[in-house]
Amino acid sequence: MNRASSVAILVLLGAFGIGLSYLAQLNSAPRIAAEQRLIDSRNLLDLLPPASYDNQPLEQPLTLQDTALGNSTLMAGYRATKAGQPYAVLLRSQTLGYAGAIDLLIAIDANARLIGVKTLKQAETPGLGARIADWPNAWLQSFTGKSRFDPDDKGWALKKDLGQFDQLAGATITSRAVINATHDALRYFDEHRQQLLGSAGHE
Amino acid sequence: MSKTSLLPCSLMLAPLIGVTGSLASALGLWLMFVVVISAFGLGMNILRPRLLPATHLWASVLLSATLTSCAELGAQVWSLQWHHQIGIYAALLALQCVVLEHNGFFQSTWRDRLRLYGLFGALMVSLGLLREFIGYGTLGHHLSWLVAATHAQWQGWGLTTDGGLRLATLAPGGFILLGLLIAAWQAWHRPTPSH
Repeated sequence: MNRASSVAILVLLGAFGIGLSYLAQLNSAPRIAAEQRLIDSRNLLDLLPPASYDNQPLEQPLTLQDTALGNSTLMAGYRATKAGQPYAVLLRSQTLGYAGAIDLLIAIDANARLIGVKTLKQAETPGLGARIADWPNAWLQSFTGKSRFDPDDKGWALKKDLGQFDQLAGATITSRAVINATHDALRYFDEHRQQLLGSAGHE
Repeated sequence: MSKTSLLPCSLMLAPLIGVTGSLASALGLWLMFVVVISAFGLGMNILRPRLLPATHLWASVLLSATLTSCAELGAQVWSLQWHHQIGIYAALLALQCVVLEHNGFFQSTWRDRLRLYGLFGALMVSLGLLREFIGYGTLGHHLSWLVAATHAQWQGWGLTTDGGLRLATLAPGGFILLGLLIAAWQAWHRPTPSH
């Protein structure tokens, strides 16, 4: 136990520590990344019924054109397919709510009907507008099954604006923003249907 | 607790408040604590006779850093969601190891060490239970994360539908609850005044 042997042991220990950590990181990084992707996709994709698609929509984002819509902007688009046939298109849309931006994920099936709407990011008033972030969400479920023409353009508004949809209690501006963004997405889907559904889409 | 154990005990306060928001994270961090500190103790007991006393600190720092990094990577591979909840408190274990070593913890008897593990575990689990029950209204929510099932069916017992007092899940609530528990403990053990 002299100075030289102590220093030698320390250096060995340091080298061993660095080597072991490096090896552990190398071995575990791909598994951690795959697990993270799985968690993310489960979070985003629980809009769609579980057995309805068999690809990885988040891995192949679609390139979108003319993404600046009337009341919102499209940030990303994904296509879910089953056995090669397109099942649904997921559009990530950003719109201005009461207190900030709202990020919505809007799922539209191949017949241009809404499957569901999910809030990804919001900064609305807690207890009022922020209730769009609850999941499952009773108010957002009122959009399921609607399409661009059902209700018609005038019907795509709050009941107090002579439309068809109830608002969230105490959150008029938030409700309007979500309705307008959803209507924009449906209109966009209609205009770019072939491109969104891919070559195997049917009219 | 003796005076020299003031620093390790105060270091343990950070995970005690930070991680006990839910039972699953409290239990998991305690398990990680036991594993890492035992491995560290073994390693230092091997190295200590072979090193000059002046280099003990360096050796403990290197060893604890290595062990904590590997333990964190292992925890991430085992259950990523649980590790997200634990956050930075797993890395604090490295500092804990060094401080315990500096205080001579690993040279005390087996019984002393087991007492520390047991005490820490009991505190973490009881605080985690209480805070989860008062804060979320559930018991054992996300316990499935500990067994590496990312999407398990069993979500723990839900006791109240609308969640509980949100304060209990945040750090200030944790401090308040710990203070109340300590006050209750001292009241229980107060020596009866003799007339």
